[in-house]
Amino acid sequence: MIDFERFTLANGLKVIVHRDTSTPMACVNILYDVGARDEDSERTGFAHLFEHLMFGGSINIPDYDNALQIAGGENNAFTTNDITNYYLTLPAVNLEVAFWLESDRMLSLAFSEKSLEVQRNVVIEEFKQSYLNQPYGDIWLEIPKLAYKVHPYLWPTIGKNIDHIKYAVMDDVKAFFKKFYCPNNAILCVTGNVTVEQVKTLCEKWFVPIPMGNPPKRNLPVEPPQTQARKLELERDVPASAIYKVYHMGKRVDKSFYAMELLADILTDGNASRLYVELVKNQKLFSEINAFTYESLDPGIFIITGKLLDGVTLEQADEAIQKEMEKITSAEVKKDELEKAKNKTESQHIFAEISILNKAMNLAIFELLGGAENANKEIEKFFSVSEKDMLDESSNIFKESNCSTLYYRSKPKAHAN
Amino acid sequence: MPTEITIDRKTMPQLALESKIDIIHAQNYSLPNGVPVYYVNAGTQDVIKIEVIFRAGSREQDVPLVAGSTNAMLEEGTKKHTAEEIASLLDYYGSFLETSVQQDYASVTIYTLGGHLDKALPVLEEIINEPSFPQSELEIYLHNNKQRFLVDEQKERVVAAKNFPALLFGDAHPYGHRTRLEEFDGVKKENLEAFHKKYYSAGNCAIIASGRVNDILLNKIGDYFGKGVTNVGAIHESPLQEPHPSSQKINFIPSNKKDSVQSAIRMGRVLFLKNHPDAIPFQILNTIFGGYFGSRLMSNIREDKGYTYGISSSVVFLQHAGYFNIGSEVGSDVCDAAVIEIYKELNRLCVEPVPAAELQLVKNYLRGNFMRSMDGPFALAERFKHIWLHNMDYSYYENYVKALSDITSSQLMEIANKYLQKDSIYELVVGAKGKK
Repeated sequence: MIDFERFTLANGLKVIVHRDTSTPMACVNILYDVGARDEDSERTGFAHLFEHLMFGGSINIPDYDNALQIAGGENNAFTTNDITNYYLTLPAVNLEVAFWLESDRMLSLAFSEKSLEVQRNVVIEEFKQSYLNQPYGDIWLEIPKLAYKVHPYLWPTIGKNIDHIKYAVMDDVKAFFKKFYCPNNAILCVTGNVTVEQVKTLCEKWFVPIPMGNPPKRNLPVEPPQTQARKLELERDVPASAIYKVYHMGKRVDKSFYAMELLADILTDGNASRLYVELVKNQKLFSEINAFTYESLDPGIFIITGKLLDGVTLEQADEAIQKEMEKITSAEVKKDELEKAKNKTESQHIFAEISILNKAMNLAIFELLGGAENANKEIEKFFSVSEKDMLDESSNIFKESNCSTLYYRSKPKAHAN
Repeated sequence: MPTEITIDRKTMPQLALESKIDIIHAQNYSLPNGVPVYYVNAGTQDVIKIEVIFRAGSREQDVPLVAGSTNAMLEEGTKKHTAEEIASLLDYYGSFLETSVQQDYASVTIYTLGGHLDKALPVLEEIINEPSFPQSELEIYLHNNKQRFLVDEQKERVVAAKNFPALLFGDAHPYGHRTRLEEFDGVKKENLEAFHKKYYSAGNCAIIASGRVNDILLNKIGDYFGKGVTNVGAIHESPLQEPHPSSQKINFIPSNKKDSVQSAIRMGRVLFLKNHPDAIPFQILNTIFGGYFGSRLMSNIREDKGYTYGISSSVVFLQHAGYFNIGSEVGSDVCDAAVIEIYKELNRLCVEPVPAAELQLVKNYLRGNFMRSMDGPFALAERFKHIWLHNMDYSYYENYVKALSDITSSQLMEIANKYLQKDSIYELVVGAKGKK
């Protein structure tokens, strides 16, 4: 249970405060309601590149990191297909420094050419490190475009093509800032050893003077239901073949999301999970197997992936997974199986609430999804999923016609030296 | 609006004066069989972490991979329960098990909600005292890890991380040993049984509990670990052999990938133990050099040149050695240039005093970081573990905080000259053939 207070500034910035006096620290989290899904299909990767540029100096403060570190703070940020999120922690006694820094970069950036040039290179190296130079790394470029045909989830956060990053120019940067980085497109969440009064006073001073913007109303193309199985085969120089089965599912706030999270747990989380016991331990087909959802705000995907052991064919592996999924779609999961998954989920939530940073991120994302109070209703929602709900949702989702299958074949090693 | 005019956005708000940092100490007592228990009662949630630590790290093993295999296999079956049953017993109550092995020690940790302690403790006791190391599970474990090993061999970063300690300590040294593929075939059930019998004993064990710790919990720990543990009797730490560092300072290993587009860099040298008088100053110096986001390595090689997504340096303290190590992955075409810049930055520490503003920034940053690292029950337990493993007490942290106030640029330059001369640095690049 996270207690909080909420208010909205005249310029539309939503503010959430959670007080936790067990820590000497404070956390400031700012969520901007813009992600890779809001990009132009010819300028992908831009939300993420922009996240890097947010550290390249703001209108009055040349060096964000430098200033924060002087105040004993530490920060980071991440971009997803849905949002861009910035967070910092610092000794609570220096809270005002965080307000000074974050309000200035919401006001305006310095837009330095040097910063753009360097961050383009940094992001290109990030692209190489995560996607090109990593065994199996390019899968995360292939899966989205296999699963999505029209919705912008069809490109990954890093961008669909390195060239989109290479040719980003300052005018794009300025336009992007103007469009999305305004108080009425953001949620500020402050947690830790702070008071509501203190946060109100600091907001009044630092954020209230920032003018309201005019963020576009989101109107994204809706992905039509998939009606036919999709297949893709790639051959790569990796030690073991891998299989990916990708199913369309609901969005974060849908009931089906809760069912699918629990199902992912039942399928592959730990030594007692279904696919692990059956396919890794009993049949010895895979060295590892995983199922997970993307937690996306628009309708998302459920992925099952495994690395094959030597001598196992992709067809065999595929068939074995399908057989397990038929069990899921033809009979209810066992009562204690579901209960176990719910208890684990509850426990993970309680452990996560130790950290003021987790609490801040959580409140901010739930505020975006319709109300921060829902952060405290998650457990209840997981517990309300019945065996029948699990079966209904699964039957709906785990159909071959709703599935994209990727065979990632290990190149035969005959000529390896 | 009037407020707009009155605020000065150019100047940083006044920083608070340095306040005293409270360090909550771990308490301790001994179980009847001599097992020491250390505990930190803190935090707001009804959660508990219990870590059972054994001197059963990889440096104790006679057969490669045995320490890690023994530790990982604890949860793969006991005399009473199968791996699946063990997992179910814990899962059902939302408890989580974690096993881990380092060079010097191994641990088994359980995280549980306070209310489910009675369900979690017997399982923890059982897997520690009565593992059965089933042959079939061991084969699966070795086979699957062998495959993971092959995947890792494709990653320049992992190859570099594995080969670098071998340069510093020699491949025959327990801290320098590189795992080889064929070693997976040499691990036998009997090796695990023997290793377990010798090292997972009460005389070789300590327990660290944190979270909502009360007398009930402490009594229960006594019930399960105070008498039931077999094989009581302290073992003697095996003496470590002398390191045999490589005679070659500059090293290159070709990538196992044909189409490698980035090279991994590792550079560094052997240092001293954590209790050495230079340990704290060196860590402050390391922070300036490559230990935080605003470090010189990051500012130069990422933020100025854009050669990499990330570069950092760190100090590793093992029980019987310490070393300094720089790591990055850079574009293959700029690898040489990046290495040159790293040497430039090392040299700069030796010839130019750290400017006052930069030193003050790092001191402030480290103070904040120290507070973060002491925040919450599990963090406090971790901080305790890191002194306890080195036979040190809380005066280490008091000295650290004091150094954050007192240390001067000239002291740091002295340390740099003592340890960071170019000819003392080992260099390793793993990358595409022909690029170096």
